[in-house]
Parts: sequence; structure tokens; C-alpha cells
Amino acid sequence: MATDSASTVGKLALNLNRLLPGLYAVLGVLATGAVLWSLAPDTGSRGETLARLVEWAPALAHGFAMNVLISIGAIFIGTLIGLLAGALAMSKSFVGKLARVWIVAFRNAPWLVLIYFTTYVFPFEIHVFGAIVPFPDWLKVMLGLALPASANIAEVFRGAVSSIPSAQWEAAASLAFSRSQILLKIVVPQCIRRMLPPWMNVYAIITMGTALSSLVGIHDLLDTAQIASSTVARSSFTVLTYVATLVIFFAYCYPISWLTRTFEKRLRTV
Amino acid sequence: METLLHGFITATARIGLDYRFLLDDYERVPFVQGLGVSIEIIVSTMTASAIAGLVLLLALRGRNRLIAGLARCFIEVTRNTPTLVQLYCAFLVLNMLITQWLHARGIDNPFKPFFWVVLVLSLHKAAFHAEALRAGFDALPSQTLEGAASLGFSRATRFWRIELPLALRAALPALANNMVELVKASAVASAIAVGDVTYQSIMIWTQRDNVLALMLLILAFFGVLTWLVTLAGRWLERRYRIPGYGY
Repeated sequence: MATDSASTVGKLALNLNRLLPGLYAVLGVLATGAVLWSLAPDTGSRGETLARLVEWAPALAHGFAMNVLISIGAIFIGTLIGLLAGALAMSKSFVGKLARVWIVAFRNAPWLVLIYFTTYVFPFEIHVFGAIVPFPDWLKVMLGLALPASANIAEVFRGAVSSIPSAQWEAAASLAFSRSQILLKIVVPQCIRRMLPPWMNVYAIITMGTALSSLVGIHDLLDTAQIASSTVARSSFTVLTYVATLVIFFAYCYPISWLTRTFEKRLRTV
Repeated sequence: METLLHGFITATARIGLDYRFLLDDYERVPFVQGLGVSIEIIVSTMTASAIAGLVLLLALRGRNRLIAGLARCFIEVTRNTPTLVQLYCAFLVLNMLITQWLHARGIDNPFKPFFWVVLVLSLHKAAFHAEALRAGFDALPSQTLEGAASLGFSRATRFWRIELPLALRAALPALANNMVELVKASAVASAIAVGDVTYQSIMIWTQRDNVLALMLLILAFFGVLTWLVTLAGRWLERRYRIPGYGY
């Protein structure tokens, strides 16, 4: 027992060691930012631009909350559609063919184009049974990101299912399970653990994709940074806001990718 | 040609798509140029990212711990931040500072948005290339490496003549996938007003309000490009497959 817990502690320390490159990376970005901030051709005092950044911090945090909201919504919708599409794509029927076309189409389309697509093609309000329901832009961006997310998650699902030995399908079939029963009751429960790391990877990529929403006028972190830098209009402040934007995204996405690698490693050793 | 174009426009008009901009020289010419600019961005980024990826890999595998650590940090930052934020950090921050410094000395900034897009996308994809190649190196059979060392090849010869060719082959599927991602990512060029196909389309649809028609055209364009890149990747994989491995 004692050796067991010691080895767990050792493992954790080893994993924390792997966090170090990220910490150094943040320090490097901050140091570069500080150099540029102090060297920027700017007439006013440097301390003042730092104070302005603190002033703008709540607005930036609010903007980043929008990024997080969009990413969570997109991964939620994308997971639902993706699992459905992934399961359907395994069948040889016409619906299966449609699901495969869906996956290929949305895996190969540029995200930015998909976001423009959902933002400008969808109406800004929908009439449902006489009532007018507004269709806000952030929801459209969420859907625009859910499309490529669903295609990627369908692939993740397909990969996980194909990692289950096909002998299990045959054994279950010989026990008179139907195809959908085998998939839902035998294969999928084993897949969930294997799907977690690549699913988290898709989530991190989606979160990075939410930065594109600033191009269609969503007040996300990047858009807020742009507004802040053009409002204050001082070059040393511009350096600060964009470095802050970079660091905030990194601080959110790096732990996710670190966790992904940790889970992957654990799966490999089990 | 002209009748074919008219036929296409009337046929698509029937299903509600407006392609009339193709008849207007002021819109068609920039659009066609945009297609060219997109291809230019993609081709130059592919080349530059391959070179930068190899440099990053050399840094990662070099004997200098400091350089390897710096390369590692660069890869972590690049992989975990949005491309658009990186592009803004380069274009709106670095480019602005360079412009201001040069302006104070009465010189014009020689760096254009096109340069920044290619630079940022190349470095971004280089990080992914380096990771793919690193995995390729990890997959090298140790017997081959020991055999090469016992035959008295120097470290440099082993790297260029034995390790790299084998690792490249192992990394080819991942590298081809990175190139497909690169084609898709090139659309962010429109964010800093490089006249690529996405940017020109935005210009057209703000005038004509025919978003869906243009969107389908862009998606088809990128679809064809990604398909071509995938085909090229598969061809390379077949051409350079290692006998005795795979199917």
C-alpha cells in the first residue's frame, strides 16, 4: 500500500514535470511582451498603460467568458451530432452514406468559412408557431463550430469503435445480440474511456476556433482586445492587450492538452 | 465560353443562387485574382512550413539543451493558442512596432500583410510538422540505429541518410494531414485584408448579398484543394512506403 501511494505520488510529480515547458513558455511570452512594451515608441508613462490594462481586465474577462460559452455549446451540440453521425456512418445504408458525406464535407471545410456561412445565411430571428424567436449571432457561431466539431467527433468515435477487437462483435452476435444492441451495450461502454483524450483534444481545438468569432462581430476576448487597443490608442498598451490575449488562451488550452496527454499515457499503460 | 457562363448563371438563378457577379469585370477579376492569391499563400506556406519544421526538429533533437528547451516552449505556445491571435500578435503588434520604428527614421515598412500571413501560418504549421516528425523518430526501430552506429557512420550522416528518410516516411500521414489543415487555415488571411479568395468574396457579398452562392463556390474551391493535397499525400505514401511495413 505504502509503495503504491509512493508510486502514485511519483507519477504525479513526473506529470507535473511535464507541465514545466508550458510554464516556461508563458514566462517567455511575458518576457517578450515586457521587452516590446518597454521598447514601444510611446510618449506617455509605461506605468499608466499597465493601469489601463487593469482597468480593461473585467471587459477582457467578460469577452473570454463568451469564448468559453461558445466552446462549451459547440462541443455539446457537436458531440450529440457527431456520435449520431459516427454511429450512422458505420451502416452500409443510404443514411450511412449521407453521414459519411457529412463527415468528409465538414472535416475539409475551413472553419472561418463555416462561421461566415452560419452567421450570414441563417436568419436573425425564427418564426415558431407565430412567436418570433431571436437567433443571436453567438448561437450561430456556436452552430458553425459545432459542424466541424461533429465531423471530428464522428471520426473519434469511429476510431474508438475500430479499436475494439472484432471478435467481440462475432461473440456477441453468436449470443443473439442484435447489431444495435452490440454497439450500444457492449462496444460503446468500452469506447468511452478511449474516446476521452481525443475528445478533449477536439474541445481544445474548438476553444481556439472561437477566436474566429471576433471576425463576425461577436464581443469575444479578441474583439474586446481590439476595441481596447483602438480606444486607448497607445502602442505599449496594444502590446499588453495582445500578449494578455495570447496568455489567456494558452492558460486555458494548455492544461487541457496536458490532461489529454496524461490520460493517453494512463490508457497506454493499462 | 460566354454562352456557357450565361447558361450557368440562368441555371443557378433558377435554384435561387446569384452568380451574376461573374459577368461584372470589376468583381470577377478580383475574385479570380483572389483564387490565385489563396493558392500563392498555400504554396508558399507549405514550402516555408516544411523548412521551418525541419529547423525546429533539428533544434529539438540537437545537443544544446537550451535551444531544445526554447524550441519546446515555442511548440507549446503555438499548439495551444489560436492562429488568429498569433496572426494579430504578429501583424497588429510586431508589424505596428516595426512600422513606427522605421517611420521615425523615415523608412517605409517593407513587410506586407501577405508576408505576415505566410510567416505566422508557416511557423504555426512548423510546430505541428516538428511534432509529427518527432513521433516518426520515436518510431524508428532501434536495431536500425544500432546497426548504423556500428557501421561507423557519423552522427550527421546517420541523421541525414538513415534516420530522417525513415522518420519522414513514418510521419508522412501526419504531415499530409497537417498540409490539409494548412489549406483550411489559409482562410484566416482575410482577417488582415490580404486579397485572398475569402476576402474578395466578403467584398462581393457585402455589395450583392449573395452569401450562399459565394460560400458554395469557396467551399468547392477549398474542397478541391484539400482533395488534391490528400491525393498527393497518398501518392507519396505509396511511393515511399517502407517494404515490409503496412499493407
